[in-house]
Amino acid sequence: MKMKKVMALVLASLMTVSLAACGESTDAPTSTDAGTTSTDASTEEASTTDDASTEEAATELSGKLTIWTFTDDLKTAGEYFQELNPNVEVEVVVTATADYPTKLDTGLGAGDSSADIIVGEPQMLEPFFEAGYFEDLDAAPYNAQDYAGQIVDYVWEKGQDADGHQRAISYQITPAGFFYRRDIATEVFGTDDPEEIGKLFSSYDSILGAGETLKAAGYRIFASDGELQYVSGDEAWVVDEALNLTQYRIDYMNLVVQLYQQDLTAYAAQWTAPWYQAMSGPVPILSAETMWGTDDMNVWDAENFNENAANYSDETAEVFAFGLPSWGVLTMRDNVGETSGSWGVCSGPAYGFGGGTYIGISSLSENKELAWEFIKWFCLNEETSDWWIEVSEGDTPSLISALEKHADDENEVYGGQKLFAFWLEQAQGIDLDRVTQYDTAIGDLWGNAITAVKEGTSSKEDAINEFYDQVAATYPNLTIDREKEFVLD
Amino acid sequence: MAETAAKVKKNRKRNYNNTAYLFVLPFVIVFCIFSVYPVLRTLQLSFTNYKGFGDPEFAGLANYQRVITDKYFWTSLWNTIRIWGVNIVLQLGLAFLLTIVFSDIKYKIRGLAVFRAVYYLPGIISVTSIAFLFKTLLDWRYGTVNQLLAKIGIGVGNPINWWGEPTAASLAISVIQTWMWFGNSFIMLMAGVQGINSDYFEAAAIDGCGRWKRFTKITLPLLKPILLYVTITSLIGGMQMFDLPFLIGTVNGNPSGALQTAIMYLYKFGFALRPKQVGYAAAIAYVLFLLILVVSIIQLKLNNKEE
Repeated sequence: MKMKKVMALVLASLMTVSLAACGESTDAPTSTDAGTTSTDASTEEASTTDDASTEEAATELSGKLTIWTFTDDLKTAGEYFQELNPNVEVEVVVTATADYPTKLDTGLGAGDSSADIIVGEPQMLEPFFEAGYFEDLDAAPYNAQDYAGQIVDYVWEKGQDADGHQRAISYQITPAGFFYRRDIATEVFGTDDPEEIGKLFSSYDSILGAGETLKAAGYRIFASDGELQYVSGDEAWVVDEALNLTQYRIDYMNLVVQLYQQDLTAYAAQWTAPWYQAMSGPVPILSAETMWGTDDMNVWDAENFNENAANYSDETAEVFAFGLPSWGVLTMRDNVGETSGSWGVCSGPAYGFGGGTYIGISSLSENKELAWEFIKWFCLNEETSDWWIEVSEGDTPSLISALEKHADDENEVYGGQKLFAFWLEQAQGIDLDRVTQYDTAIGDLWGNAITAVKEGTSSKEDAINEFYDQVAATYPNLTIDREKEFVLD
Repeated sequence: MAETAAKVKKNRKRNYNNTAYLFVLPFVIVFCIFSVYPVLRTLQLSFTNYKGFGDPEFAGLANYQRVITDKYFWTSLWNTIRIWGVNIVLQLGLAFLLTIVFSDIKYKIRGLAVFRAVYYLPGIISVTSIAFLFKTLLDWRYGTVNQLLAKIGIGVGNPINWWGEPTAASLAISVIQTWMWFGNSFIMLMAGVQGINSDYFEAAAIDGCGRWKRFTKITLPLLKPILLYVTITSLIGGMQMFDLPFLIGTVNGNPSGALQTAIMYLYKFGFALRPKQVGYAAAIAYVLFLLILVVSIIQLKLNNKEE
C-alpha cells in the first residue's frame, strides 16, 4: 500500500514535470516579454557594474560563458578571451550554418538557458529578433546606444529589430567588390587605376562590353558566371508584403545568360579547382557541357583536373576579375601565387555585401553580464580589432576607429592598395533595406529561373511565370503582380 | 469464517486489479506525452499560422485549402507515389521469385536461414551509410556502376548522370529501396508459404498440376492476407519516404525537384524555410494522414469483398 502511494506520487510528479516543460515551450519568449523581464532582472545589478570601466571589469571577469555559433571565428575569439581572463571558462558549440536556426528554435523555444552568446547571419536575424531570442542591448546595464557611431553604420543597423532596438552587433564588415588583374587592365584598357576600372564595372552593359573586349584580346572577364551575385539586385525582394521583381533583376538574368551563352567566362564554376587556379594564371577554358567535369576529369580535384583538362579544352586563357565580399581577401591571399602584387580592387555596379556574423546575448542566459563583456571586448575594442586583423590574416573589422587606424595599411597582394579604406567606403554605401528574411528562399528560386534560361530549358517568360508560381506556393502571404512588364532582351 | 475468507479473496482481487493499472501507467504516460499529445497538438497547429515561436494565431481551414490548391504539394505526392510504385513492384516481384525458388520441393535449397539473414541485412544498415554508398557507386564520373557499364559498352563517353537526371534519379531511389526491403518481404512471404499445408501441394502434384498452376491456384490465394499486410505497411512507409531522397537530393529534392517527396515538402515548410510555416506543415501532415487512411481502407475493403 505504501509502495503504491510512493509510485503514484513519483508518476504524478513526473507527469507534472513533463507537462510543465511542454507548457513552457508554447510560452516561448515574445520580443516584448523578453525585453521587460531581462531589464527587470538586471537593473539591480546595473548600478554595481555599470560604473566599472571595461579594462577594470576585464581583469575581474569570472564564470562560464557558452557560445552557440556556426563559425570558427568565435572559437578563435573564445579561446583568446579565456586566455586573457583566466577565471573565465569559455565553451563554444559550433553547429552547421544550415542547422543553426533549428538549434535556436528548439533550444531557446524550450527554455534552454545554457547559451549565453548566440549569433546570426543577416537574413536569419529578423525572425530571431521577432522570436525574442536576442536580449535588448539598448536597456541597462548594456546601454548599447552609448556605442552608436563606433561601428560601421550598415552593420550597426542590421543588428536592430523592427522597433529599432539593438539586439546584435557584428565584429566584421563584408562589403562586396571586384578583384581584378592590374597587368591585364593596363594591357587591354590602358589603365590599372581602381577608379577607372570601377567604371567598367559600373553597369551591367559596361560589364558585358568589357567582357567582349577582353575576349577579343584573348582573356576572359570572369572565371564563372556567378561573380555578380553580390550585386544582383538594387531593391529588396519583398516590399510591403509584395514580391518585388525589378527590371534590374531581369537585367541581371540577361547578363548571366549572355556571359554563359557567349562564352565570355572560363566556365570555371565557383569554388572548383579551375576557379581557384584562375587566380594565379592561365586556365584551360572549359565549355558549358564540361564545366562540372566529365567521366575522367574532376573539376573539384586540382591534381586530377590538371592531368585531364587538356583532353577537353584546346585553349587556355587568363581571367580578369572575381566578384567577392571583403572576405575574398583571404581566398585570394591563399591562391594568387605568382600574380601576387598585380591585383587591384574596385567597386561594382551596386553596393552589396555577403554574409557576416552578428553576435548577441541570449534572452534566457543566466550570465548576461559576462556575455556583454565578451561582445564589448570582441566588437567594440580597438586592441581586439588589431588582434583580429592579425589572427584572421586580413578580415575587415566593423569598428570604425580600427578601420581608420589601418586605413593607410598597404596590401602587397594588391600592389599596395589601401584596402581597409576601400572597404570602409564601400560599406558606407550599403543600403540595408534590401535585406529581408525571404531572401534565401526567393533568391534560390530566382537562381533556378536563371539556370533554366541560360541552359536553354525554358524561355524567359516561362521561367518568370514558374518563378511567380513557386513564390506564390512558398509564401502565399505575398502579393504578386504578374502583369508587371519588363524589357526582356 | 467463510464470509471473511471470501472478503479477503475479494480484497486481494481488487488489489491485484489496481496493481495492474499501476504497471500500465508508465506506458500510458509515455504514450500520451510522445504520441497522443503531438498528434493532437499537430491537429491544433494545422488550424493556425504558427511560425515556430510566439502564440499561434487561429487561421481556420485556410491551411487545408492551401494544401489542396498547392500544385507543388501534389507534384511532391506524385513523386512519392512514382518512387514507391516502382519500388513495390520490384520488391514484391523479387521477394516472390525468391519465395518460389526457396519453397520448391524439387530444388530443396539448403541454408535458408543464412540466405534469409543476408537478404535482410540491407534493411538494418543506417540510411546515411546507404545514401553515401550509393552516391559514390552511382557517381556519374567515377562511380563503379558507370565504369562497369562502360566495360560492357553502355554509356561510353556519355555516362548516365544518375543523380543529375530526374528519371534516372527516381529510378535509382526506387531500386535502392527495393534492395533495402526485399529481404523483409521475402521473410514474410516465406513464412506465409511455410504456413500453407503441404498436403495441398502434394495433392496437386499427384493430380498432375504444373509449377505455375500450383503457384497461381494455391500459393497466391493463400498468401493474400500476408500480401495485403506487406503492401499496406509498405504503402504507409513509402508515403512517409524521407531520409534517402533527402540525403541525396537535399531539401529541394534535386535534380529538378524530382526527389522531393511529400514528407520532404512538409519538412521544407516546418523546418527549412524562413520564416517557418509550422501551421501549413501540420496541415500537410494531416492531409497525408487522411490520404493514407483512405487508401488503406479501400485496400482492406477490396480484399474483404473478394473473400
